[in-house]
Amino acid sequence: MPKHNNPYTLVFVCIVATICALLLSTAASFLREKQEANSAYDVKLNILKSFAVLPEKATRAEVEHFFINNIEGITVDATGNEVNGSAEDIDPEFEAKTKAPEDRLYPVYILRENDARIAYTIPIIGKGLWSKLYGYLSLNSDFNTIRGITFYKHGETPGLGAEIAAEWFQKNFQGKKILDESGEFVSVSVVKGKADNFYDEPKISHYVDGISGATITSRGVTAMLKKDLNNYLPFFAQKRVNYSGD
Amino acid sequence: MSEPLFSAKSKKVFTDPFSENNPITIQVLGICSALAVTAQLKPSLVMGLAVIAVVGGSNVIISLLRNLIPNKVRIIIEMVVVATLVILVDQLLKAYAYDVSKQLSVFVGLIITNCIVLGRLEAFAMGNKPWASLLDGLGNGLGYAWVLAIIGFLRELLGSGSIMGHDVIGKLYHAGYVNNGLMVLAPGAFILLGLLIWVQRTLSKYVED
Amino acid sequence: MDEFKEMISFSIRAIFVENILLAYFLGMCSYLAISKKVSTAFGLGIAVIFVLFITTPANWMIHEFLLRPGALIWTGVPSLAAMDFSFLNFICFIAVIAAMVQIVEMVIDKTSPTLYASLGIFLPLITVNCAILGTSLFMVEREYGIIQSTVFGTSSGIGFFLAIVSMASIRHKLRYSNIPEGLRGLGITMLTTGLIAMAFMAFSGM
Repeated sequence: MPKHNNPYTLVFVCIVATICALLLSTAASFLREKQEANSAYDVKLNILKSFAVLPEKATRAEVEHFFINNIEGITVDATGNEVNGSAEDIDPEFEAKTKAPEDRLYPVYILRENDARIAYTIPIIGKGLWSKLYGYLSLNSDFNTIRGITFYKHGETPGLGAEIAAEWFQKNFQGKKILDESGEFVSVSVVKGKADNFYDEPKISHYVDGISGATITSRGVTAMLKKDLNNYLPFFAQKRVNYSGD
Repeated sequence: MSEPLFSAKSKKVFTDPFSENNPITIQVLGICSALAVTAQLKPSLVMGLAVIAVVGGSNVIISLLRNLIPNKVRIIIEMVVVATLVILVDQLLKAYAYDVSKQLSVFVGLIITNCIVLGRLEAFAMGNKPWASLLDGLGNGLGYAWVLAIIGFLRELLGSGSIMGHDVIGKLYHAGYVNNGLMVLAPGAFILLGLLIWVQRTLSKYVED
Repeated sequence: MDEFKEMISFSIRAIFVENILLAYFLGMCSYLAISKKVSTAFGLGIAVIFVLFITTPANWMIHEFLLRPGALIWTGVPSLAAMDFSFLNFICFIAVIAAMVQIVEMVIDKTSPTLYASLGIFLPLITVNCAILGTSLFMVEREYGIIQSTVFGTSSGIGFFLAIVSMASIRHKLRYSNIPEGLRGLGITMLTTGLIAMAFMAFSGM
């Protein structure tokens, strides 16, 4: 092995570091567009999933096409009035971090069928055991019945908390109600164990089965639903009045 | 120099790591990141490919530089080369296989500290020509990948009743079959790997004292 | 007070239920190689706790103030504030870890030669211990704050310590058992680890 003196070592390290840095920044800036397109597509895909309208094995082009034709994104303020601006430009996480609840803007995605608005999806963000949970919750146009729910980003334990992304857990939410019989907001809670062991009709429609071994994740889901739905209540109330007038 | 490209020696360098000198079951290297992603088959396969690319690539690069690298900063240079390759792989996955990259999350980054990579660089690439190093890297990567694939296959089949996300058990559920939830969790991976090592070592007659 | 309570339960979860080694398989290489003797396992465990306690908050600061999207906002230069250097995470973290391990080694050497002698070769080896890098990556992935990161790092270290010391004690006993030939060494260690992992999972739901 040849001997190398200190200046050589220093120069060698600098050259290697420079080459690596150049290579990485080139790759990063070259691929960035593609990566951003991917994550934008992921958002669209999950909004459609929460509406439960996605045909199985839809291609990317079909998803994009469906999204453009049938989904409308609007923005509402804290009093429930529609304001100018597209839903895609609003980052709910950024809004929550930087503004008081009454100053925030809230995105809503609407599913249209033959010009009628038939379902509404809102983003839900909350804390699980380990990580932030990101998802979408979709309501039918009675603003009471849950149409679907998805979680698309989380860092929970595989087999335990990560079950929130499983189909059986998400299916449980379908058809549940966020309002009680007198029209008060009660949200939907995840119980510990099987919901029908604890509650009978009509209360059962506000509770879903929990995930065994993932109490804290389940509690996080309950809390995030309550918190995020609460922000949209004025909007729902306004629309509900119009809806019954239809 | 007149050695043919596929001589008996280079063939041995390539195939040894498949069983007799398997990085996981015999050398006990790189188990760290290996098990965490094997709850399903698809991420296991992608992880295997990523490791093959990183080990092969870094082996060639270090082997080309082996006479230029000052001995004092050897490890740091190796780490920088490996980290660069891993970041490239990570960026490519994010751009072309977004779903899988979401599932693998931090474990792609952990290839940097995968002992197989640094181990091969130190043990082989620092003292051998680029072609032999490439074969050695690919061989070790493949040896690692097949163990990962088998564990991923078994864990997904027994734990979730599916292969590559396709339900294969189907009707058996009506006959009372239940998925073994343990397989999805960590202990299942440990036990499966333990059994796999037992089988592999019995076949290759390797005994640890 | 509530926050304090939450931290305690967070720390217990990181030590037992979500043990960095038994649930996430990180640090397996050194775990398998160094768990043959209780005394060396003890030394490595302590060293890992120490290094995690230092590197996790250090990496948190690097990520928060240098690398994450919009991190450079404090410089006041708009073009810098818009940059996203998070693709450099891996390389910076491993460099910090390597540097920290080196510094810790020098400090221990100067201040406590006895501790230095007992840790011996394990300190430099910690650089390539996946548990250290893994903890930093998890911290970014899960968006922890500085206090949470420190608690998480230290607890992960304690979890690793517990796992490796108990494994070393078990292997000590196993040496006198009659084990089928192919299963000796790594095989039986893996199976035992599976059983320990199951035992640790009994804490879930706490």
